[in-house]
Amino acid sequence: MYKIIEHTADVGIEAHGKTLEEAFEEAAKGMFAIITDGSKIEGKVKRKIEIPFDRDEEILLVDWLNELLYIHDVEGLVFGEFDVKINDKLVGYAYGEKYDRQKHGYGMDIKAVTYHMLEIKRNKKGVTIKVLFDI
Amino acid sequence: MWSGPLNKIGEYRYEIPKTYRGINGNLKMRVPALIYASEEMLPAIRKDNAPEQAANVATLPGIVGRSLAMPDIHWGYGFPIGGVAATDAEEGVISPGGVGFDINCGVRLVRTNLKIGDLDRNKIRQLVDELFKNIPSGVGSQAKVRLNRAQLDDVLQMGARWAVENGYGWEEDLEYLEENGCMEIADASYVSEKAKERGKSQVGSLGAGNHFLEIQRVAEIFDENAAKIYGVEKDQIVVMIHTGSRGCGHQICSDYLRVLEQAVRKYNISLPDRQLACAPVKSKEGESYFKAMACAANFAWANRQMIVHWVRQSFENVLGRDAEELGMHIVYDVCHNIAKVEEHVVDGEKMLLYVHRKGATRSFGPGRKEIPKKYQQVGQPVLIPGDMGTESYLLRGTNESEEAFGSTCHGAGRVMSRHQAKRRWNGREIARMLEQRGIYAHPASWSVMAEESPDAYKDVSQVVNVTHGAGLSLKVAKMVPLGVVKG
Repeated sequence: MYKIIEHTADVGIEAHGKTLEEAFEEAAKGMFAIITDGSKIEGKVKRKIEIPFDRDEEILLVDWLNELLYIHDVEGLVFGEFDVKINDKLVGYAYGEKYDRQKHGYGMDIKAVTYHMLEIKRNKKGVTIKVLFDI
Repeated sequence: MWSGPLNKIGEYRYEIPKTYRGINGNLKMRVPALIYASEEMLPAIRKDNAPEQAANVATLPGIVGRSLAMPDIHWGYGFPIGGVAATDAEEGVISPGGVGFDINCGVRLVRTNLKIGDLDRNKIRQLVDELFKNIPSGVGSQAKVRLNRAQLDDVLQMGARWAVENGYGWEEDLEYLEENGCMEIADASYVSEKAKERGKSQVGSLGAGNHFLEIQRVAEIFDENAAKIYGVEKDQIVVMIHTGSRGCGHQICSDYLRVLEQAVRKYNISLPDRQLACAPVKSKEGESYFKAMACAANFAWANRQMIVHWVRQSFENVLGRDAEELGMHIVYDVCHNIAKVEEHVVDGEKMLLYVHRKGATRSFGPGRKEIPKKYQQVGQPVLIPGDMGTESYLLRGTNESEEAFGSTCHGAGRVMSRHQAKRRWNGREIARMLEQRGIYAHPASWSVMAEESPDAYKDVSQVVNVTHGAGLSLKVAKMVPLGVVKG
């Protein structure tokens, strides 16, 4: 579950999951919903992402989302489904397809993921992430 | 709503005193903060919380003078947009947050010898469509050329010169670019593989968001003498390009935020906001960032240079005349997201400083050695882009801007989020409204039309009038759009 949050010049995501992994997956979904204006993304291709985890969850989150943005920018892909495991490193799979302006419409060009007001909070229901993007 | 102190200390000048302790009561400002604004702008500025960010910047080690904010101030990441901070070149820090993700986002103005009477609506439409065809724009836009690694390294180290040497533009162009289109300190070995990978296919692309390319008409001249020196006159057709370093610059900023985040701990710097991450200018981390940042700046100059080449080609194709014959010379090129080493006078003493401009433009006055010979008498041209459908300005730099380390505003500044704007308007309606005002728009998408609707921004003329009144830059000419290519 995620929702899009916004401030005058920014846009961001509040993502919720039962676990940290699920919250990471939801945050990624939210990010691509912003890029593609919430349109349907089919899982035609798969990409594997590995990121070392040195105990700072906030940095790991920013690295994860930035890695996806990098693949998006270089390969022209958009992703709709994710599968994340976090142990001593993050191993994630992203499922998506080529970005197509006709099909995916046009949301926003996200330049980067920021550390600004970044939050990862835990409560009884699970993990909530708040992250802002530079657009 | 921000309720801290904003003391009026002069015309258009509001100060946050050093004694302000921040919203959490524990802020330690090293210098005061100064916001340039008019009385009418204050409610909007307070609403945005950006003054707190200007106060946060004042805590950076080695900051000198004041933490400054231009009238187009709005909430950013760490630094406010419209922020200027100068740090001591020996004892100070450098911060990627003080530059922004879009390193060397900037503006270039190209003049022509065409007058409004030379182009009818149909010709303008043809020109816009031709520009749209030749200059890739929108999300994920890829340029017409794909560079190999060696070429990209050259772009990162040579900037606009690389483009000119490879047939994109004229030798004389370089003279009319800030830094002549190249920061010499650039060293491509400090740029990650990822940034290079992103850069390869994006040199010569406009990108998305608030970036644009416009065919404009000079609507009003405020300063005949300066306009003449800049080669600008009433009813002349000019072309404005607003874009930056694309994915390459974003990646460099992201990479180094990560590095400097660690440096904050290593050098024991205490910060009120993680996004203000910085390192001493003389540290390995600080020096590395600066060399990589310069690469992104060079990338942006090469990017705008290639776009100029395709702009000239588009005009040639549609009008059937040479760009030389059309007088398509560059008036100037400015960057508004950058850090530079500059000499300034602080408390009567000459100092070497790292000047961070994040959403602010250099505004050097007459006599500064950094500006072209031709402009020595009147100061450098300052280019202020409006927002789709609104006017843009050509200003001139002043020596009074020295109190702001030779800086002025950069644009309008948002007052409404992109989503709000999208909910309120429909892109096609805006296109129709622009059409009624005689402006033809060719956006990469309709939603970006709504997001970037002119009403989502502060009035650019209000911003420009404050900097004029405060003496940071003086009005020379106003341009209005005739045709727009949107990313």
